[in-house]
Amino acid sequence: MHTDARDLEPGSLIEGDLCIVGAGAAGISMALEWIGAGRRVLLLEGGGFDYDPHMQDLYRGDNIGLPYYPIQSARLHFFGGTTGHWAGFCSTMDPLDFAVRDWVPHSGWPIARTELDPYYKRALSVVQIGPDEWTAEAWQRRDPSLVPFPLDRNVAWTKMWQFSAPARFGVLYRKPIVDAPDVHLYTHANVVEIISNENASAVQELRVRTLEGKEHRVRAKRFVLACCTIQNARLLLASNGQASAGLGNANDLVGRYFMEHLEMPSGNLVTLGRTPPSVQMYDWGWGRTKARGEIALSQEVQRRRRILNATVSLSPAALSDPPQSTFQQINPQLIEMFHTGKLSDDVLKTPPPSAVPRTFQLMTRQEQAPNPASRVTLSTERDALGMPRTRLDWRLTELDRSSFAAFYEELGCEFGRAGVGRLQMRDWVMQPPNAGWPPSLSGGWHHMGTTRMSPDPKQGVVDVNCRVHGIANLYVAGAAVFPTAGCVNPTFSLVALTLRLSDYLKHSSA
Amino acid sequence: MVARRQFLRYLGATALGVAATGCKLGSEYDVRSLAQPEVLATLGVAEVRNIGQRYRTLNPSEASVNAIREAILGSRPLAARLGLINPPVAALVRGDFEHGRTVALDGWILSVTEARQCALLASLTT
Ligand SMILES: Cc1cc2nc3c(=O)[nH]c(=O)nc-3n(C[C@H](O)[C@H](O)[C@H](O)COP(=O)(O)OP(=O)(O)OC[C@H]3O[C@@H](n4cnc5c(N)ncnc54)[C@H](O)[C@@H]3O)c2cc1C
Repeated sequence: MHTDARDLEPGSLIEGDLCIVGAGAAGISMALEWIGAGRRVLLLEGGGFDYDPHMQDLYRGDNIGLPYYPIQSARLHFFGGTTGHWAGFCSTMDPLDFAVRDWVPHSGWPIARTELDPYYKRALSVVQIGPDEWTAEAWQRRDPSLVPFPLDRNVAWTKMWQFSAPARFGVLYRKPIVDAPDVHLYTHANVVEIISNENASAVQELRVRTLEGKEHRVRAKRFVLACCTIQNARLLLASNGQASAGLGNANDLVGRYFMEHLEMPSGNLVTLGRTPPSVQMYDWGWGRTKARGEIALSQEVQRRRRILNATVSLSPAALSDPPQSTFQQINPQLIEMFHTGKLSDDVLKTPPPSAVPRTFQLMTRQEQAPNPASRVTLSTERDALGMPRTRLDWRLTELDRSSFAAFYEELGCEFGRAGVGRLQMRDWVMQPPNAGWPPSLSGGWHHMGTTRMSPDPKQGVVDVNCRVHGIANLYVAGAAVFPTAGCVNPTFSLVALTLRLSDYLKHSSA
Repeated sequence: MVARRQFLRYLGATALGVAATGCKLGSEYDVRSLAQPEVLATLGVAEVRNIGQRYRTLNPSEASVNAIREAILGSRPLAARLGLINPPVAALVRGDFEHGRTVALDGWILSVTEARQCALLASLTT
C-alpha cells in the first residue's frame, strides 16, 4: 500500500509493528522480506518516486576534510535511494576482513564471514546477480575464455566480481511493495527526529515532516534506520531531545569511523612474451560483463606486510595516461542526472577493443582503515526541514597510504615470477612516509562506518544484531554498521546484513 | 634519443669488442643479447634506457659495460658459474623474482638481472 504523506491530515498518527526508515537498498531489501509476514510494516521514504532537486538539497552539507564528492551528489533522496546511481559492482568480503588484525587498529567484526554466507546467497536475487559462484575456476568452467593468471595462491589470487544490470530498486520493487497489503509505504515522509522515552532506553515515536511543512507522528514496536550511512548518523545526532549528545551516542561514537574505499589508478602493467597471458578474465565492459576477476593479495602476505586489503583491476590504457581524481573529473550536475539510471545506447553498445592490449592501467580498490577522527558531525546550518545539515570530515591515516606501496611491490614481484608482465608503480605510491595524498585521490562513492558494530558499547554504536546499544527497539541497517570496510563495493554485503537483521527481527520478540 | 636502427648498429659494433669474454656461454650472454631485456619490446629503447640510467646512478660500481656483464654472470647459481649448467637469461630473471631479488626503478618492479640488462643498454647508448 502506498500513501503520500503530503495528503495526510496534519498531525496524523501512523502506527505499525515494524517501522523501516528509508527506502533504498537496505530499506527495500528489508521490506520485501516482510511481505506476507502477517505484520503491519511501515516503510517511510523521505522522497517521492522521482528525483526532486528540493529533496536532494536536504543532503547538502559541508566538507571540512580531504577533498570529496559534493555530499548531495553522492547519494539519492527518493524511493530506491542510491541504487538509482549504483553501477552494480558486487563481490563478497573476505574472511580476513572480519578478523581482528593486530596491524589494523579497531579491526574485527563480532561475526565471522561464514555467518554472512547464507545471506549472501539470498542477497543474489535481490541485487539480481548469480549464480553463487565466486571462484575463478568456477567461472572458467562456464566460459573457457576466462583464464586466470597463473599466480601462486600463497601470494596473490584472482578475486571474482559479478555485475548487476544494475538493479534499480526503485523501479524493480515499486510494484511488489505498493501492492503488498501488509507493507505500508509512505512517501514524502522525512523523519526529522527520533523521540525516545525519558532515559533514552527505547524509541517512542518518530517525528515526520513534509517539505510543505506538515508534521506527523509514527509509532511502532521496533524501528530500523535504513537512511544510508551519513543520514543514519545525522538523524541519531540530531535526535537530542532526551540525550543531549544524540541518541545512541553516550560514548561519542555516532558519526565516527566514516570510511570510503580508495579507488585510485596506482600503477601500470605491461604484459610480456610472444603470447600475452589471457586478459579476458580481467576485462570489463559496461552492460556486457557478467563476471570478471581482480587481483588480490593472499591473507598470508597481508599479514606479513601488515597492510590493508585491496584488489586491482586492469583496464587497457597508454602508459602515459595521467591519473585523474574522480572528485575533480565528475561534474556534480552530471551526477545528479544519473538518477534516471539510463545510459545512452552508445555507451552500452561500445564494442570490445579488437587488438589485444599489452599495457594496462591498474586501478586499486583499497579498504580504508577504521579511524575515529574520520567523522560525520552536524553543521550549524539547517535544511528546509529544520534539520542541522551534515559536516563531513573525511580523514585517512598513514596505513592507508603505505599499504599501496607494499601491495604493488608484492604484486610486481608475483607478476614477474608468474610471467604475467612487469608492473610500474605511480610516483606517489613510492613517496616516503607522511608524504600526503596525490591530487588523484579518489573514492568509490561508498559510505561506511558511523554506527559501527561491536559487542562493546564503548567500541561501537550497534551490537552484533545491529541494535543500537542501550536502546531496546532501535536498529540500523546498511553499511553504516560495518566495523571495517573490506575492499569490495558495499551494497551486496549490506543487503546480506540487512537480510540477517530481518531474520533476527522475525525470530525475536518486540 | 638514439633511433632504434642506429642503436642496434651501435650495439652490434660494441658487442664485437666484448663478446669474446663469454667463451663458454650461450650467445644470449654476449653483450649485444644481454642488452636486450624482455621489456625492451614493450617499453621501447627510451624507457629502457631511462631505467638503466637510474640503475647505474644507484649502483656506481656497475658503471662500465664489463662490470655490468660481470655482475650478471656472477649472479648466476654456483653450478652455472662452475660451467656445469647454462641457464638461459630468462631463467635468471625468473629466479630473481622467485627469490625477491627485485629492484624498483622509475616505479618499474624488475628483476635485478633485467635491471642490469637495462643498465647495459644504457651504457652502450649514452
Ligand atoms: C555513482 C555511484 C555508484 C555506485 N556504485 C556502486 C556499485 O557499483 N556497487 C556497490 O556495491 N555500491 C555502489 N554504490 C553505493 C550504493 O549505491 C550504496 O551502497 C547503497 O545504495 C546504500 O544503500 P542504503 O540503503 O544504505 O542507502 P540509499 O540507497 O542511499 O537509501 C537511503 C534511503 O533513505 C531515504 N532517506 C534518507 N533520509 C531519510 C529520512 N530522514 N527520512 C526518510 N527517508 C530518508 C533516502 O531518500 C533513500 O531512499 C554507488 C554509489 C554511487 C553514488
